[in-house]
Amino acid sequence: MEESDGAVIAGSLETPGAFGVIFDRHGSTLLRFLARRVDPAEAEDLLGEVFRIAFERRSAFEQDRDSARPWLYGIAANVVAKHHRSEARRFRAMARVSARRPLDEDPAERAVAAADAGARWARVMDAIGTLPEAERQVLLLFAWEELSYDEIALALGVPVGTVRSRLSRGRARLTALTQGRDTTTDVALTSCDAGGEK
Amino acid sequence: MTDDLEPLRRARPDRLLPDDPPDPETLAREKARLMSAITGPEGVVVHRRTPSIYPRLAYRDEVAALDFLTRAFGLVERRESRMEQPGGMLAWLEIGDGVVMIGRAGEERHGLFSPLDVGAPTAAVNVYVHDIDAHYHRAESEGAQIVTPLEDMFWGDRRYEALDLEGHRWHFAERLSEIRA
Repeated sequence: MEESDGAVIAGSLETPGAFGVIFDRHGSTLLRFLARRVDPAEAEDLLGEVFRIAFERRSAFEQDRDSARPWLYGIAANVVAKHHRSEARRFRAMARVSARRPLDEDPAERAVAAADAGARWARVMDAIGTLPEAERQVLLLFAWEELSYDEIALALGVPVGTVRSRLSRGRARLTALTQGRDTTTDVALTSCDAGGEK
Repeated sequence: MTDDLEPLRRARPDRLLPDDPPDPETLAREKARLMSAITGPEGVVVHRRTPSIYPRLAYRDEVAALDFLTRAFGLVERRESRMEQPGGMLAWLEIGDGVVMIGRAGEERHGLFSPLDVGAPTAAVNVYVHDIDAHYHRAESEGAQIVTPLEDMFWGDRRYEALDLEGHRWHFAERLSEIRA
């Protein structure tokens, strides 16, 4: 059995070099996360930043946790938030690529006019870039990184209820932005806004 | 219910562009940077460049294969390069100055298959090692299936061949001139 991340981090307080194991276990996952969010070249620099911050803050890590991954995602999400202009640029570039080159992995999609599909993905990428930061973070941790509500709560340091409300607000807004407003989404948006967190 | 997040899932950049794994060199470099920031320049292991040619082998159970190849054949994983995904793991293994990449078999995984799927090996990986006799005994005792015995060959190698746990064929050798030296 491998040592838990909590135990490794505890050990790294005495022996700093042991923290390399945390990079071994999670570096590639975090690099992929960053490369989805900012320019790939910048993602490499940010990866170093994430792990340097994690190393400096390692004494704050709750050592009874098995996995440091949600905690690292939280640090990475903050680092991405500081680079929102790069993120917005990444999404615009993705929107252009997807408009040009629609995915046709689903045979049913091929039957649809390819240009339509491409335009739809372009709208999704455009829309995600314009969502409020808090909602974008939750939506992307959920849909792209496949974290659970609990893991997202841990990562962002907010209650699970907040994760749920941000997620439902974010998806309503995303649907409204990508499909054009209809009555249903207007209602959903209104009720979400009214029930806002804080 | 129809999932309103499906368009977002499908818009994920690495599903849209087939950019597959991040470059393992990037991870090795960033790890070296981190370690030198933490512990200073000593003790930093910097991986060599990935060679110009390196094979990729497919397994039905790539996690078991990783365990077997390190245990029985003495390959060493570049741990920081490992990619864990729901659809399977990718790992880079080194021996000497060579690298082999292993991943899950399947049509959607570059159309590569395990000998278990095909019913026969279709390639061999040739590896030069130090102390071929010790290597042979280790492989045998760890359960590798030896398919040609350890013997001196007329072209100047001492070699044996073995199958790994899913039947990929490995050819291990050492130059006789190095053994005698």
